[in-house]
Amino acid sequence: MSRMEHYFSTDWSALTTQDWAGLIITVLVFIGMLITFALALRPSKRKELEEQKHKILEDD
Amino acid sequence: MDTTAKPQYDNGVVKYLTVGAIVFLVLGTFLGTFAASQLAWPALNFDIAEITFARLRVMHTNTVIFAFGGMTLMATAFYTVQRTNGVKLWSNSMAWWTAILFTIGLLATVVTISLGMTTGKEYHEQEWPLAIAIAVVWTMYTFNFVMTIASRNKETHSHVYVSNWFFLGMMIAITYLYVVNGLAIPVSLFRSYSLFAGVQDAMIQWWWGHNAVGFFLTAGFLAIMYYFVPKQAQRPIYSYRLSVIHFWALMFGYVWLGAHHLQYTALPDWTGSLGAVISLAMIIPSWGGALNGMLTLSGAWDRLRTDYILRFLIISLAFYAMSTFEGPVMAAKTVNALSHYTDWTVGHVHSGALGWVAMVSIGALYHMVMKLWNTEMYSMQLINFHFWLATIGTVFYIVAMWVSGIMQGLMWRAYDEYGTLAYTFAESVAAMHPYYAMRAFGGLLFFTGAAVMLYNVVMTIRMANARASKPVEATA
Repeated sequence: MSRMEHYFSTDWSALTTQDWAGLIITVLVFIGMLITFALALRPSKRKELEEQKHKILEDD
Repeated sequence: MDTTAKPQYDNGVVKYLTVGAIVFLVLGTFLGTFAASQLAWPALNFDIAEITFARLRVMHTNTVIFAFGGMTLMATAFYTVQRTNGVKLWSNSMAWWTAILFTIGLLATVVTISLGMTTGKEYHEQEWPLAIAIAVVWTMYTFNFVMTIASRNKETHSHVYVSNWFFLGMMIAITYLYVVNGLAIPVSLFRSYSLFAGVQDAMIQWWWGHNAVGFFLTAGFLAIMYYFVPKQAQRPIYSYRLSVIHFWALMFGYVWLGAHHLQYTALPDWTGSLGAVISLAMIIPSWGGALNGMLTLSGAWDRLRTDYILRFLIISLAFYAMSTFEGPVMAAKTVNALSHYTDWTVGHVHSGALGWVAMVSIGALYHMVMKLWNTEMYSMQLINFHFWLATIGTVFYIVAMWVSGIMQGLMWRAYDEYGTLAYTFAESVAAMHPYYAMRAFGGLLFFTGAAVMLYNVVMTIRMANARASKPVEATA
Protein backbone atom coordinates (compact mmCIF):
# COMPACT_ATOMS: atom_id res chain seq x y z
CA MET A 1 0.00 0.00 0.00
CA SER A 2 1.47 3.34 -1.04
CA ARG A 3 1.79 6.17 1.46
CA MET A 4 -1.13 8.01 -0.10
CA GLU A 5 -3.31 4.89 -0.12
CA HIS A 6 -2.43 4.28 3.50
CA TYR A 7 -3.30 7.87 4.41
CA PHE A 8 -6.73 7.74 2.78
CA SER A 9 -7.59 4.12 3.67
CA THR A 10 -10.63 3.64 5.90
CA ASP A 11 -11.78 0.61 7.83
CA TRP A 12 -15.47 0.96 6.99
CA SER A 13 -16.45 -2.02 9.11
CA ALA A 14 -15.07 -0.27 12.22
CA LEU A 15 -17.41 2.73 11.86
CA THR A 16 -19.92 3.01 14.71
CA THR A 17 -23.51 4.25 14.31
CA GLN A 18 -22.36 7.66 15.49
CA ASP A 19 -19.52 7.67 12.95
CA TRP A 20 -22.01 6.89 10.18
CA ALA A 21 -24.42 9.56 11.41
CA GLY A 22 -21.58 12.13 11.44
CA LEU A 23 -20.36 11.08 8.01
CA ILE A 24 -23.82 11.27 6.45
CA ILE A 25 -24.56 14.66 8.03
CA THR A 26 -21.19 16.01 6.84
CA VAL A 27 -21.79 14.88 3.25
CA LEU A 28 -25.37 16.20 3.26
CA VAL A 29 -24.24 19.58 4.62
CA PHE A 30 -21.55 19.78 1.94
CA ILE A 31 -24.06 19.00 -0.82
CA GLY A 32 -26.53 21.47 0.70
CA MET A 33 -23.86 24.17 0.69
CA LEU A 34 -23.01 23.50 -2.96
CA ILE A 35 -26.70 23.70 -3.94
CA THR A 36 -27.16 26.95 -2.00
CA PHE A 37 -24.11 28.55 -3.60
CA ALA A 38 -25.25 27.46 -7.06
CA LEU A 39 -28.72 28.94 -6.43
CA ALA A 40 -27.30 32.24 -5.19
CA LEU A 41 -24.73 32.58 -7.96
CA ARG A 42 -26.75 31.54 -11.02
CA PRO A 43 -26.72 34.43 -13.52
CA SER A 44 -30.52 34.47 -13.96
CA LYS A 45 -30.92 35.34 -10.25
CA ARG A 46 -28.46 38.22 -10.29
CA LYS A 47 -30.83 41.10 -11.08
CA GLU A 48 -33.50 39.90 -8.66
CA LEU A 49 -31.05 39.57 -5.77
CA GLU A 50 -29.06 42.73 -6.39
CA GLU A 51 -32.27 44.80 -6.51
CA GLN A 52 -32.86 44.03 -2.84
CA LYS A 53 -29.87 46.03 -1.67
CA HIS A 54 -31.43 49.38 -2.61
CA LYS A 55 -34.61 48.94 -0.58
CA ILE A 56 -33.20 49.59 2.89
CA LEU A 57 -32.01 53.03 1.84
CA GLU A 58 -35.62 54.21 1.76
CA ASP A 59 -37.04 52.34 4.74
CA ASP A 60 -37.33 55.29 7.13
CA MET B 1 -48.23 68.82 1.74
CA ASP B 2 -46.56 65.44 2.06
CA THR B 3 -49.29 62.84 2.10
CA THR B 4 -46.97 59.83 2.06
CA ALA B 5 -47.84 57.61 5.01
CA LYS B 6 -44.71 57.00 7.07
CA PRO B 7 -44.84 53.75 9.02
CA GLN B 8 -44.97 54.22 12.79
CA TYR B 9 -42.53 51.94 14.57
CA ASP B 10 -42.25 50.75 18.18
CA ASN B 11 -39.26 52.82 19.21
CA GLY B 12 -39.67 52.93 23.01
CA VAL B 13 -38.19 49.50 23.68
CA VAL B 14 -35.38 50.14 21.19
CA LYS B 15 -34.52 53.39 23.00
CA TYR B 16 -34.41 51.54 26.34
CA LEU B 17 -32.15 48.82 24.92
CA THR B 18 -29.90 51.35 23.19
CA VAL B 19 -29.22 53.32 26.37
CA GLY B 20 -28.98 50.08 28.38
CA ALA B 21 -26.33 48.74 26.01
CA ILE B 22 -24.22 51.88 26.42
CA VAL B 23 -24.51 51.76 30.23
CA PHE B 24 -23.39 48.11 30.18
CA LEU B 25 -20.52 49.02 27.82
CA VAL B 26 -19.26 51.46 30.44
CA LEU B 27 -19.78 48.99 33.29
CA GLY B 28 -18.26 46.05 31.38
CA THR B 29 -15.15 47.92 30.24
CA PHE B 30 -14.70 49.25 33.77
CA LEU B 31 -14.77 45.69 35.14
CA GLY B 32 -12.34 44.59 32.41
CA THR B 33 -9.92 47.42 33.12
CA PHE B 34 -10.11 46.65 36.84
CA ALA B 35 -9.45 42.95 36.20
CA ALA B 36 -6.53 43.80 33.88
CA SER B 37 -5.10 46.12 36.55
CA GLN B 38 -5.31 43.33 39.14
CA LEU B 39 -3.10 41.15 36.93
CA ALA B 40 -0.51 43.92 36.77
CA TRP B 41 -0.89 44.99 40.41
CA PRO B 42 -2.42 42.07 42.39
CA ALA B 43 -2.84 44.16 45.54
CA LEU B 44 -5.83 45.73 43.81
CA ASN B 45 -7.99 42.75 44.76
CA PHE B 46 -7.91 44.16 48.33
CA ASP B 47 -8.43 40.62 49.67
CA ILE B 48 -12.15 40.92 48.99
CA ALA B 49 -13.46 37.59 47.70
CA GLU B 50 -16.24 39.15 45.59
CA ILE B 51 -13.79 41.12 43.46
CA THR B 52 -10.87 38.72 43.18
CA PHE B 53 -9.64 38.22 39.61
CA ALA B 54 -11.27 34.79 39.21
CA ARG B 55 -14.72 36.29 39.77
CA LEU B 56 -14.10 39.76 38.35
CA ARG B 57 -12.92 38.39 35.02
CA VAL B 58 -16.14 36.36 34.62
CA MET B 59 -18.26 39.34 35.70
CA HIS B 60 -16.46 41.31 32.96
CA THR B 61 -17.04 38.71 30.23
CA ASN B 62 -20.71 38.34 31.12
CA THR B 63 -21.24 42.10 31.23
CA VAL B 64 -19.56 42.87 27.93
CA ILE B 65 -20.65 39.82 25.94
CA PHE B 66 -24.16 39.17 27.15
CA ALA B 67 -25.26 42.46 28.74
CA PHE B 68 -23.65 44.94 26.31
CA GLY B 69 -23.57 42.61 23.31
CA GLY B 70 -26.98 41.09 24.01
CA MET B 71 -28.70 44.42 24.50
CA THR B 72 -27.06 45.77 21.35
CA LEU B 73 -28.31 42.74 19.42
CA MET B 74 -31.81 43.16 20.82
CA ALA B 75 -31.88 46.89 20.14
CA THR B 76 -30.63 46.55 16.57
CA ALA B 77 -32.78 43.49 15.78
CA PHE B 78 -35.96 45.20 16.99
CA TYR B 79 -34.95 48.40 15.16
CA THR B 80 -34.04 46.82 11.83
CA VAL B 81 -36.74 44.13 11.63
CA GLN B 82 -39.42 46.83 11.71
CA ARG B 83 -37.78 49.00 9.08
CA THR B 84 -36.72 46.26 6.66
CA ASN B 85 -40.18 44.69 6.76
CA GLY B 86 -42.19 47.92 6.95
CA VAL B 87 -44.17 46.77 9.97
CA LYS B 88 -44.34 47.36 13.74
CA LEU B 89 -43.15 44.72 16.18
CA TRP B 90 -45.50 41.75 16.38
CA SER B 91 -45.78 42.33 20.13
CA ASN B 92 -44.45 45.53 21.67
CA SER B 93 -45.33 44.34 25.17
CA MET B 94 -43.44 41.07 24.67
CA ALA B 95 -40.43 43.10 23.48
CA TRP B 96 -40.61 45.19 26.66
CA TRP B 97 -40.84 42.06 28.84
CA THR B 98 -37.90 40.58 26.93
CA ALA B 99 -35.80 43.71 27.48
CA ILE B 100 -36.62 44.09 31.17
CA LEU B 101 -36.26 40.40 32.07
CA PHE B 102 -33.00 40.24 30.11
CA THR B 103 -31.65 43.20 32.10
CA ILE B 104 -32.68 41.61 35.42
CA GLY B 105 -31.24 38.23 34.35
CA LEU B 106 -27.89 39.73 33.42
CA LEU B 107 -27.65 41.79 36.61
CA ALA B 108 -28.49 38.67 38.63
CA THR B 109 -25.79 36.79 36.71
CA VAL B 110 -23.13 39.35 37.60
CA VAL B 111 -24.19 39.40 41.27
CA THR B 112 -24.31 35.59 41.64
CA ILE B 113 -20.92 35.23 39.98
CA SER B 114 -19.43 37.76 42.39
CA LEU B 115 -20.87 35.59 45.19
CA GLY B 116 -19.05 32.57 43.78
CA MET B 117 -22.03 30.78 42.23
CA THR B 118 -20.83 29.39 38.91
CA THR B 119 -21.07 26.29 36.76
CA GLY B 120 -17.42 26.79 35.83
CA LYS B 121 -18.32 26.48 32.13
CA GLU B 122 -16.82 29.32 30.14
CA TYR B 123 -19.39 31.82 28.78
CA HIS B 124 -22.09 29.72 30.44
CA GLU B 125 -21.40 30.41 34.09
CA GLN B 126 -25.00 31.05 35.16
CA GLU B 127 -26.35 28.38 37.49
CA TRP B 128 -29.40 26.48 36.31
CA PRO B 129 -32.31 28.74 37.48
CA LEU B 130 -30.75 31.76 35.75
CA ALA B 131 -29.76 29.72 32.70
CA ILE B 132 -33.37 28.54 32.27
CA ALA B 133 -34.68 32.10 32.74
CA ILE B 134 -32.25 33.47 30.13
CA ALA B 135 -33.15 30.69 27.68
CA VAL B 136 -36.85 31.56 28.06
CA VAL B 137 -36.18 35.28 27.51
CA TRP B 138 -34.04 34.46 24.46
CA THR B 139 -36.88 32.35 23.05
CA MET B 140 -39.30 35.27 23.56
CA TYR B 141 -36.89 37.52 21.65
CA THR B 142 -36.59 34.99 18.81
CA PHE B 143 -40.34 34.35 18.63
CA ASN B 144 -41.18 38.06 18.49
CA PHE B 145 -38.58 38.59 15.76
CA VAL B 146 -39.88 35.69 13.66
CA MET B 147 -43.50 36.75 14.08
CA THR B 148 -42.65 40.33 13.07
CA ILE B 149 -41.16 39.06 9.82
CA ALA B 150 -44.15 36.75 9.33
CA SER B 151 -46.61 39.61 9.82
CA ARG B 152 -45.10 41.80 7.06
CA ASN B 153 -47.06 42.71 3.95
CA LYS B 154 -45.85 40.05 1.52
CA GLU B 155 -46.82 42.12 -1.52
CA THR B 156 -44.80 45.21 -0.64
CA HIS B 157 -42.04 43.30 1.20
CA SER B 158 -41.83 39.94 -0.53
CA HIS B 159 -38.09 39.59 0.09
CA VAL B 160 -36.64 39.44 3.59
CA TYR B 161 -33.48 41.60 3.73
CA VAL B 162 -30.24 39.73 4.47
CA SER B 163 -29.60 41.35 7.87
CA ASN B 164 -32.69 39.49 9.12
CA TRP B 165 -31.20 36.19 7.96
CA PHE B 166 -28.08 36.79 10.02
CA PHE B 167 -30.14 37.75 13.07
CA LEU B 168 -32.33 34.69 12.67
CA GLY B 169 -29.36 32.35 12.16
CA MET B 170 -27.82 33.74 15.33
CA MET B 171 -31.03 33.35 17.32
CA ILE B 172 -31.66 29.73 16.28
CA ALA B 173 -28.05 28.61 16.72
CA ILE B 174 -27.63 30.27 20.11
CA THR B 175 -30.87 28.72 21.37
CA TYR B 176 -29.85 25.13 20.75
CA LEU B 177 -26.18 25.61 21.63
CA TYR B 178 -26.97 27.33 24.92
CA VAL B 179 -29.59 24.77 25.91
CA VAL B 180 -27.51 21.69 25.05
CA ASN B 181 -24.37 23.00 26.75
CA GLY B 182 -26.42 23.94 29.80
CA LEU B 183 -27.95 20.48 30.30
CA ALA B 184 -27.21 19.70 33.94
CA ILE B 185 -28.45 17.89 37.00
CA PRO B 186 -29.38 20.36 39.75
CA VAL B 187 -28.49 19.27 43.28
CA SER B 188 -29.54 22.49 45.03
CA LEU B 189 -30.93 25.91 44.11
CA PHE B 190 -27.52 27.25 43.05
CA ARG B 191 -25.51 24.13 42.36
CA SER B 192 -25.69 21.76 39.40
CA TYR B 193 -23.45 19.29 37.59
CA SER B 194 -23.11 19.02 33.82
CA LEU B 195 -24.86 16.13 32.12
CA PHE B 196 -21.63 15.49 30.22
CA ALA B 197 -18.33 14.31 31.63
CA GLY B 198 -14.67 14.20 30.67
CA VAL B 199 -13.67 14.91 27.11
CA GLN B 200 -17.32 14.86 25.96
CA ASP B 201 -17.99 17.73 28.35
CA ALA B 202 -15.00 19.60 26.96
CA MET B 203 -16.20 19.01 23.39
CA ILE B 204 -19.76 20.19 24.13
CA GLN B 205 -18.36 23.17 26.05
CA TRP B 206 -16.25 24.34 23.11
CA TRP B 207 -18.95 23.49 20.59
CA TRP B 208 -20.93 26.12 22.53
CA GLY B 209 -17.92 28.30 23.39
CA HIS B 210 -16.67 28.85 19.87
CA ASN B 211 -20.17 29.22 18.49
CA ALA B 212 -20.93 31.88 21.08
CA VAL B 213 -18.16 33.68 19.18
CA GLY B 214 -19.33 32.47 15.77
CA PHE B 215 -23.02 33.17 16.07
CA PHE B 216 -23.57 35.57 18.97
CA LEU B 217 -20.48 37.73 18.35
CA THR B 218 -20.15 37.26 14.59
CA ALA B 219 -23.43 36.44 12.82
CA GLY B 220 -25.46 38.81 15.00
CA PHE B 221 -23.01 41.67 14.51
CA LEU B 222 -22.77 40.96 10.78
CA ALA B 223 -26.51 41.54 10.72
CA ILE B 224 -25.75 44.94 12.24
CA MET B 225 -23.05 45.52 9.62
CA TYR B 226 -25.31 44.61 6.69
CA TYR B 227 -27.93 47.12 7.80
CA PHE B 228 -26.00 50.00 9.37
CA VAL B 229 -23.00 50.28 7.01
CA PRO B 230 -25.25 50.94 3.95
CA LYS B 231 -27.52 53.21 6.00
CA GLN B 232 -24.72 55.31 7.43
CA ALA B 233 -22.84 55.41 4.11
CA GLN B 234 -26.11 56.08 2.26
CA ARG B 235 -25.01 53.61 -0.36
CA PRO B 236 -26.26 50.07 -1.05
CA ILE B 237 -24.12 47.14 0.06
CA TYR B 238 -21.44 46.36 -2.54
CA SER B 239 -22.82 42.94 -3.52
CA TYR B 240 -26.07 41.44 -2.29
CA ARG B 241 -25.19 38.04 -3.75
CA LEU B 242 -21.94 38.04 -1.82
CA SER B 243 -23.91 38.72 1.36
CA VAL B 244 -26.07 35.64 0.64
CA ILE B 245 -22.96 33.50 0.07
CA HIS B 246 -21.43 34.96 3.24
CA PHE B 247 -24.52 34.00 5.22
CA TRP B 248 -24.74 30.40 4.06
CA ALA B 249 -21.00 29.78 4.32
CA LEU B 250 -21.11 31.03 7.90
CA MET B 251 -24.15 28.93 8.80
CA PHE B 252 -22.75 25.74 7.26
CA GLY B 253 -19.18 26.24 8.37
CA TYR B 254 -19.00 27.81 11.81
CA VAL B 255 -20.43 24.93 13.84
CA TRP B 256 -17.40 22.72 13.04
CA LEU B 257 -14.76 24.97 14.55
CA GLY B 258 -15.06 24.34 18.31
CA ALA B 259 -12.61 21.44 18.37
CA HIS B 260 -9.71 23.77 17.55
CA HIS B 261 -9.88 24.90 21.21
CA LEU B 262 -8.90 21.39 22.26
CA GLN B 263 -5.75 20.64 20.24
CA TYR B 264 -3.31 18.32 22.01
CA THR B 265 -5.88 17.13 24.56
CA ALA B 266 -7.72 13.83 25.13
CA LEU B 267 -9.99 14.69 22.19
CA PRO B 268 -9.37 12.43 19.14
CA ASP B 269 -6.66 13.95 16.96
CA TRP B 270 -8.82 13.96 13.82
CA THR B 271 -11.42 16.14 15.54
CA GLY B 272 -8.86 18.87 16.18
CA SER B 273 -7.61 18.55 12.58
CA LEU B 274 -11.19 18.94 11.29
CA GLY B 275 -11.64 22.02 13.46
CA ALA B 276 -8.38 23.51 12.13
CA VAL B 277 -9.16 22.76 8.46
CA ILE B 278 -12.65 24.27 8.59
CA SER B 279 -11.26 27.24 10.52
CA LEU B 280 -8.81 27.91 7.68
CA ALA B 281 -11.60 27.50 5.11
CA MET B 282 -13.67 30.09 6.97
CA ILE B 283 -11.14 32.80 6.08
CA ILE B 284 -12.72 32.93 2.60
CA PRO B 285 -16.32 33.83 3.54
CA SER B 286 -15.16 36.02 6.43
CA TRP B 287 -12.92 38.11 4.19
CA GLY B 288 -15.62 38.13 1.51
CA GLY B 289 -18.01 39.64 4.03
CA ALA B 290 -15.47 42.17 5.31
CA LEU B 291 -14.66 43.26 1.75
CA ASN B 292 -18.37 43.46 0.96
CA GLY B 293 -18.80 45.95 3.78
CA MET B 294 -15.68 47.96 2.98
CA LEU B 295 -16.29 48.12 -0.77
CA THR B 296 -19.69 49.61 -0.04
CA LEU B 297 -17.68 52.82 0.32
CA SER B 298 -16.16 52.49 -3.19
CA GLY B 299 -16.00 55.93 -4.69
CA ALA B 300 -16.90 57.61 -1.40
CA TRP B 301 -13.92 56.95 0.82
CA ASP B 302 -13.58 60.68 1.45
CA ARG B 303 -16.62 60.41 3.73
CA LEU B 304 -14.42 58.78 6.34
CA ARG B 305 -12.76 62.15 6.83
CA THR B 306 -15.94 63.77 8.07
CA ASP B 307 -18.29 60.97 9.17
CA TYR B 308 -16.97 59.72 12.49
CA ILE B 309 -19.76 57.16 12.93
CA LEU B 310 -18.87 55.62 9.58
CA ARG B 311 -15.27 55.43 10.78
CA PHE B 312 -16.34 53.17 13.65
CA LEU B 313 -18.23 50.92 11.25
CA ILE B 314 -15.43 50.65 8.68
CA ILE B 315 -12.57 50.15 11.12
CA SER B 316 -14.62 47.40 12.75
CA LEU B 317 -14.51 45.57 9.41
CA ALA B 318 -10.73 45.95 9.27
CA PHE B 319 -10.52 44.33 12.73
CA TYR B 320 -13.04 41.68 11.64
CA ALA B 321 -10.82 40.78 8.67
CA MET B 322 -7.73 40.76 10.86
CA SER B 323 -9.16 38.58 13.63
CA THR B 324 -10.81 36.14 11.20
CA PHE B 325 -7.37 35.62 9.68
CA GLU B 326 -5.57 35.40 13.02
CA GLY B 327 -8.07 32.89 14.48
CA PRO B 328 -7.62 30.22 11.80
CA VAL B 329 -3.85 30.64 11.91
CA MET B 330 -3.96 30.02 15.68
CA ALA B 331 -6.21 26.99 15.08
CA ALA B 332 -3.50 25.30 12.97
CA LYS B 333 -1.76 22.74 15.16
CA THR B 334 1.78 24.04 14.70
CA VAL B 335 0.85 27.58 15.74
CA ASN B 336 -1.53 26.32 18.42
CA ALA B 337 1.34 24.44 20.08
CA LEU B 338 2.88 27.84 20.78
CA SER B 339 -0.19 30.03 21.26
CA HIS B 340 -2.51 27.86 23.34
CA TYR B 341 -2.91 28.80 27.03
CA THR B 342 -0.96 32.02 26.45
CA ASP B 343 -2.00 35.69 26.35
CA TRP B 344 -1.94 35.56 22.56
CA THR B 345 -5.41 33.99 22.79
CA VAL B 346 -6.55 36.86 25.03
CA GLY B 347 -5.16 39.36 22.50
CA HIS B 348 -6.93 37.58 19.63
CA VAL B 349 -10.24 37.57 21.48
CA HIS B 350 -9.94 41.28 22.18
CA SER B 351 -9.00 42.22 18.64
CA GLY B 352 -12.36 40.65 17.76
CA ALA B 353 -14.27 41.88 20.82
CA LEU B 354 -12.99 45.45 21.01
CA GLY B 355 -12.03 46.00 17.37
CA TRP B 356 -14.92 44.25 15.66
CA VAL B 357 -17.88 43.70 18.01
CA ALA B 358 -17.63 46.84 20.12
CA MET B 359 -16.72 49.16 17.22
CA VAL B 360 -19.53 48.00 14.93
CA SER B 361 -21.94 48.21 17.89
CA ILE B 362 -20.80 51.71 18.78
CA GLY B 363 -21.31 52.86 15.18
CA ALA B 364 -24.81 51.35 15.10
CA LEU B 365 -25.72 52.76 18.52
CA TYR B 366 -24.70 56.30 17.54
CA HIS B 367 -26.69 55.93 14.30
CA MET B 368 -29.78 54.74 16.18
CA VAL B 369 -29.57 57.50 18.81
CA MET B 370 -29.77 60.15 16.08
CA LYS B 371 -32.65 58.38 14.30
CA LEU B 372 -34.66 57.43 17.39
CA TRP B 373 -34.51 60.86 19.00
CA ASN B 374 -34.62 62.56 15.59
CA THR B 375 -31.69 64.81 16.36
CA GLU B 376 -28.04 65.52 15.64
CA MET B 377 -25.51 64.36 18.23
CA TYR B 378 -24.68 66.75 21.06
CA SER B 379 -21.05 66.75 19.93
CA MET B 380 -19.56 65.20 16.78
CA GLN B 381 -16.10 66.13 18.06
CA LEU B 382 -16.65 63.87 21.08
CA ILE B 383 -17.45 61.00 18.69
CA ASN B 384 -14.14 61.66 16.94
CA PHE B 385 -12.41 61.73 20.34
CA HIS B 386 -14.15 58.46 21.26
CA PHE B 387 -13.03 56.91 17.96
CA TRP B 388 -9.36 57.62 18.65
CA LEU B 389 -9.58 56.51 22.29
CA ALA B 390 -11.20 53.23 21.22
CA THR B 391 -8.80 52.61 18.33
CA ILE B 392 -5.60 53.44 20.22
CA GLY B 393 -6.85 51.56 23.29
CA THR B 394 -7.55 48.45 21.20
CA VAL B 395 -4.15 48.59 19.51
CA PHE B 396 -2.36 49.00 22.86
CA TYR B 397 -4.28 46.02 24.24
CA ILE B 398 -3.70 43.59 21.40
CA VAL B 399 -0.06 44.50 20.78
CA ALA B 400 0.69 44.00 24.50
CA MET B 401 -0.97 40.59 24.42
CA TRP B 402 0.74 39.52 21.20
CA VAL B 403 4.17 40.24 22.64
CA SER B 404 3.29 38.83 26.04
CA GLY B 405 1.65 35.70 24.59
CA ILE B 406 4.43 34.80 22.17
CA MET B 407 7.00 35.44 24.90
CA GLN B 408 5.09 33.19 27.32
CA GLY B 409 4.87 30.41 24.73
CA LEU B 410 8.58 30.60 23.95
CA MET B 411 9.58 30.71 27.63
CA TRP B 412 7.41 27.72 28.53
CA ARG B 413 8.88 25.52 25.81
CA ALA B 414 12.54 26.59 26.18
CA TYR B 415 14.94 23.86 27.28
CA ASP B 416 18.54 24.15 28.39
CA GLU B 417 21.41 21.93 27.26
CA TYR B 418 20.48 19.29 29.87
CA GLY B 419 16.91 18.99 28.59
CA THR B 420 15.31 20.70 31.57
CA LEU B 421 13.02 23.72 31.36
CA ALA B 422 14.99 26.94 30.98
CA TYR B 423 12.48 29.07 32.92
CA THR B 424 10.20 28.48 35.89
CA PHE B 425 6.55 29.43 35.52
CA ALA B 426 7.05 32.22 38.07
CA GLU B 427 9.80 33.70 35.87
CA SER B 428 7.42 33.82 32.93
CA VAL B 429 4.82 35.58 35.11
CA ALA B 430 7.38 38.19 36.20
CA ALA B 431 8.36 38.79 32.57
CA MET B 432 4.74 39.61 31.72
CA HIS B 433 4.46 42.58 34.08
CA PRO B 434 5.22 45.44 31.64
CA TYR B 435 2.78 43.99 29.10
CA TYR B 436 0.05 43.59 31.71
CA ALA B 437 0.50 47.24 32.67
CA MET B 438 0.35 48.18 28.96
CA ARG B 439 -2.82 46.12 28.53
CA ALA B 440 -4.44 47.82 31.52
CA PHE B 441 -3.59 51.21 29.97
CA GLY B 442 -5.17 50.15 26.66
CA GLY B 443 -8.28 49.03 28.54
CA LEU B 444 -8.38 52.33 30.40
CA LEU B 445 -8.36 54.22 27.10
CA PHE B 446 -11.21 52.08 25.78
CA PHE B 447 -13.20 52.51 29.00
CA THR B 448 -12.68 56.28 28.88
CA GLY B 449 -14.04 56.28 25.33
CA ALA B 450 -17.13 54.39 26.50
CA ALA B 451 -17.68 56.94 29.29
CA VAL B 452 -17.34 59.77 26.75
CA MET B 453 -19.95 58.01 24.60
CA LEU B 454 -22.39 57.72 27.52
CA TYR B 455 -21.97 61.42 28.32
CA ASN B 456 -22.46 62.40 24.67
CA VAL B 457 -25.58 60.22 24.32
CA VAL B 458 -27.12 61.47 27.59
CA MET B 459 -26.55 65.09 26.53
CA THR B 460 -27.98 64.33 23.07
CA ILE B 461 -31.15 62.84 24.59
CA ARG B 462 -31.53 65.76 27.01
CA MET B 463 -31.08 68.19 24.10
CA ALA B 464 -33.67 66.34 22.01
CA ASN B 465 -36.15 66.16 24.90
CA ALA B 466 -35.73 69.85 25.70
CA ARG B 467 -36.36 70.71 22.06
CA ALA B 468 -39.43 68.46 21.95
CA SER B 469 -40.93 70.05 25.08
CA LYS B 470 -40.55 73.64 23.78
CA PRO B 471 -43.86 75.17 22.68
CA VAL B 472 -44.15 75.31 18.92
CA GLU B 473 -43.86 78.89 17.74
CA ALA B 474 -46.59 80.12 15.47
CA THR B 475 -45.46 80.48 11.91
CA ALA B 476 -46.72 83.08 9.55
